[in-house]
Amino acid sequence: MGAHISIPMYRRTVPQRYRLAGQRCTACGRVNFPPKAVCRYCRTGTGFDSVRLSGRGTVYSYTVIAGGGAPPEFSEEARCKGSYPVVLVELEEGPRIIAQLVDPPEEGITVGMKVEAVFRRIYEEEGVIRYGFKFRPV
Amino acid sequence: MAKSVVSYGSYIPFLRIRREEYISALGSCGADIKEKAVMDIDEDTVTMAVEAASDALAGVDPARVGVLALASANFPYGEKFIAGTLVEALGLSGSVLTSHHGGSALAGSEAFLAALGLLDQTDREYALVIVSDAPQASPSSGLDHGFGAAACAFVLARDGSGLEFEGACSRAGEFMGLRYRTAGETGVRDIGVGAYSSMAYNETVSASLSGILEKMGRIPGHYRCLVMPQADVRADTALAKKMGFGEDQTRDGLVYNLVGDAGCCTPFLGLCRALESAGTGEKILVCTYGAGSGSHSMSFCLNGPLPASPRPVGSLLEKKRQIGYIHYLKLKRII
Amino acid sequence: MQGVAIIGAGQTRYGDFPDLGVKELFAQAYFEMLRSVDRGLDPGMIQAAYIGCLSAGGGFQLGQLAPLLMGHVGLPGVNAVRVENACASGGYALFNAACAVASGKFDLVLAAGVEKMRDVSSSKGRYWLGVSGDTEYERLAGSTFAGIYALMAARYMHQYGLKREHLSMVAVKNHRHAVNNPKAQFRREITIDQALKGAPVAYPFNVWDCSPTSDGAAAVLLCSAKMAANFTDRPVYLRGFGAASDYLAIHDRDSITGLAATRKAAAEAYRQAGVSPREIDFAEVHDCFTIAEILAYADLGFCEEGRAHHLLEEGVTQLGGRLPVNVSGGLKAKGHPIGATGCGMACEIFRQLRGEASEPSRQVKNARLALSHNVGGSGGTAAVFIYQGGGQ
Repeated sequence: MGAHISIPMYRRTVPQRYRLAGQRCTACGRVNFPPKAVCRYCRTGTGFDSVRLSGRGTVYSYTVIAGGGAPPEFSEEARCKGSYPVVLVELEEGPRIIAQLVDPPEEGITVGMKVEAVFRRIYEEEGVIRYGFKFRPV
Repeated sequence: MAKSVVSYGSYIPFLRIRREEYISALGSCGADIKEKAVMDIDEDTVTMAVEAASDALAGVDPARVGVLALASANFPYGEKFIAGTLVEALGLSGSVLTSHHGGSALAGSEAFLAALGLLDQTDREYALVIVSDAPQASPSSGLDHGFGAAACAFVLARDGSGLEFEGACSRAGEFMGLRYRTAGETGVRDIGVGAYSSMAYNETVSASLSGILEKMGRIPGHYRCLVMPQADVRADTALAKKMGFGEDQTRDGLVYNLVGDAGCCTPFLGLCRALESAGTGEKILVCTYGAGSGSHSMSFCLNGPLPASPRPVGSLLEKKRQIGYIHYLKLKRII
Repeated sequence: MQGVAIIGAGQTRYGDFPDLGVKELFAQAYFEMLRSVDRGLDPGMIQAAYIGCLSAGGGFQLGQLAPLLMGHVGLPGVNAVRVENACASGGYALFNAACAVASGKFDLVLAAGVEKMRDVSSSKGRYWLGVSGDTEYERLAGSTFAGIYALMAARYMHQYGLKREHLSMVAVKNHRHAVNNPKAQFRREITIDQALKGAPVAYPFNVWDCSPTSDGAAAVLLCSAKMAANFTDRPVYLRGFGAASDYLAIHDRDSITGLAATRKAAAEAYRQAGVSPREIDFAEVHDCFTIAEILAYADLGFCEEGRAHHLLEEGVTQLGGRLPVNVSGGLKAKGHPIGATGCGMACEIFRQLRGEASEPSRQVKNARLALSHNVGGSGGTAAVFIYQGGGQ
């Protein structure tokens, strides 16, 4: 059983998933990601300029998902990797975002570690590959 | 000024499997590799393409790219417009002229040559060529042993200083039964007749190579470097020698023994590696070969400095993690 | 606003009941609730029902579950609604029922919750456990529900020096509490060594850091305070009730070492009750994962932020300590049938404040004020209640 995220729904977030398209609030200047209808920071701004995030950031927190407990759409990946890390990353531009970490360092993940966004397959459903961002140690 | 490569990028997957893994699991390794690159479970030729192209575009405004030429004999879909994924991931203009090339290991040079032509159909300065491949064969066949994975990307400019394209020569003929895949199959086959295979390779590649030398009015000694197709390095070396090229000329473009046969990408990855040590004024020949069979030879001259790639091939070759054969079979979705 | 009292409460045992569906589980809790009303109750007097449930029995009755369940117990005409806020569904059923009584619109309202989690395959179970976060981003990061709390735990460890052992101390304590609770799913003690060495789930959690999946139901009958004496001499008063939300996604929150929803809900409940955290005698808090109980200590005002693990070290929150937490066993050992959990906490507190803990050994002595705390998912919602007993 997948996440019930339809293909049209996935497609609507392609700019965010493929190239980290964020929005800069025209009222307070801060960057929202993922997009909001009202700025997450000033909570009043509703006008935004599109801005492409650098993908660079640091690990704010992390976990390692054990294979057996992975969501069904990630079970193939879990079977292959045994377990996989998920990180909460604080991006250079300010927002935090959650994603998988690929090529984790053998010495272990640490809070504060520098990472960069990479483009990867997230999962496949209905024969359709869902691409999106993950992170990788710099 | 002539059409030139003004920047480039490359990508080699992080995971590697060593020759010894094959030997300990299967008793032997059917390929002359030391190790080869293996895509992770969440990688495919499109994700590798994005990696290489992001580096190539590091100093380029994506809005100024008017042509996107893609090459892979192993796109993740048998049928689906792939360039759209790259346009969104790289932030290219939606009005970019696109062109897809596949079907054989010749796809890379086909894309490169097509992009040069398509540049005349756009007002924008740049064409982006992305060559990404990961040949597949059933791990139970020896063909799989040498198959690796890699991607590279080149930004071509109508006028610009860098790696100037001087000319190309082609050879096309019919040699069936060599590295082929029927519609719907996921891995390639080969009838495995050595003498026939050598004849096809030698006839096809030597024709395109002699053709380019003749066309350019040059002799092998005029070239600093010759990058060979690298599906069969032994055959490459023998042929290059027969044609009058020395080992010092073929060395800089060799990637096969550390990356494996990355299909249509191997000679271009070899070109990227050769560029890291080439000096201004030096000439480079790139020769591709697609079983079946066809060959392209392309002549280049480095007429000005190229921006250093953010991730040189040398560093990508060193950034790696070794995996065991069981892990490899999981990645190939066998177990 | 009129005062709100609890005059009856009942619940099933939590656990694995292959022969009971949502209807049967709900009926068991409902009838036990009816039996607990000291002077008896004509069920026809019940005016409204709020029923918490997430998955509606694995998705078979996502629409109009509440009338189905009420019809099953002979009350087809009662105004009934299903309430859903993930793991806080039961808490929000109770909150809405309390508001309905407080408003004066109704005098007798049923708050209940039910969940049937053990009927589905492990793959479907993992599906349901992943529908209450920010599906588009958290889930597509390959994260699980445990993974989100694990991110909070790892950050807390980094920021405040919490050790892995502290997480296990919560599990050991709550398992010990559950031993004598006949309603609990797991009634056996675990050692700290066991708790440290479970199979990994999501770093830093192992299986002992996670609440189980459970079947179960709970029902609480709320009555206007002015009418409570008609049914019992020992009502338990709901002195304060607060509920609040937060950004659903963990990446949108300013802090992940506490739940803003809990803080806001608690502030509202304390204000309404006119009591301070120091006056609370015991609490049932939302320990879906061991870190959740640790976060709750500061969020509910039991300690300063970042100091929660010291309460564990000092034994403050174990039975016999100054402020026992989760004497029922908590979600960890009593079990966590999602929609039932919030109402099940109220059942435990109702019995404890009336001196009716099933086993004398687990009775909290001389308690007057208690608190329950129910969280939706990873803190997108939270409900907090303050109860006052009439003495034991």
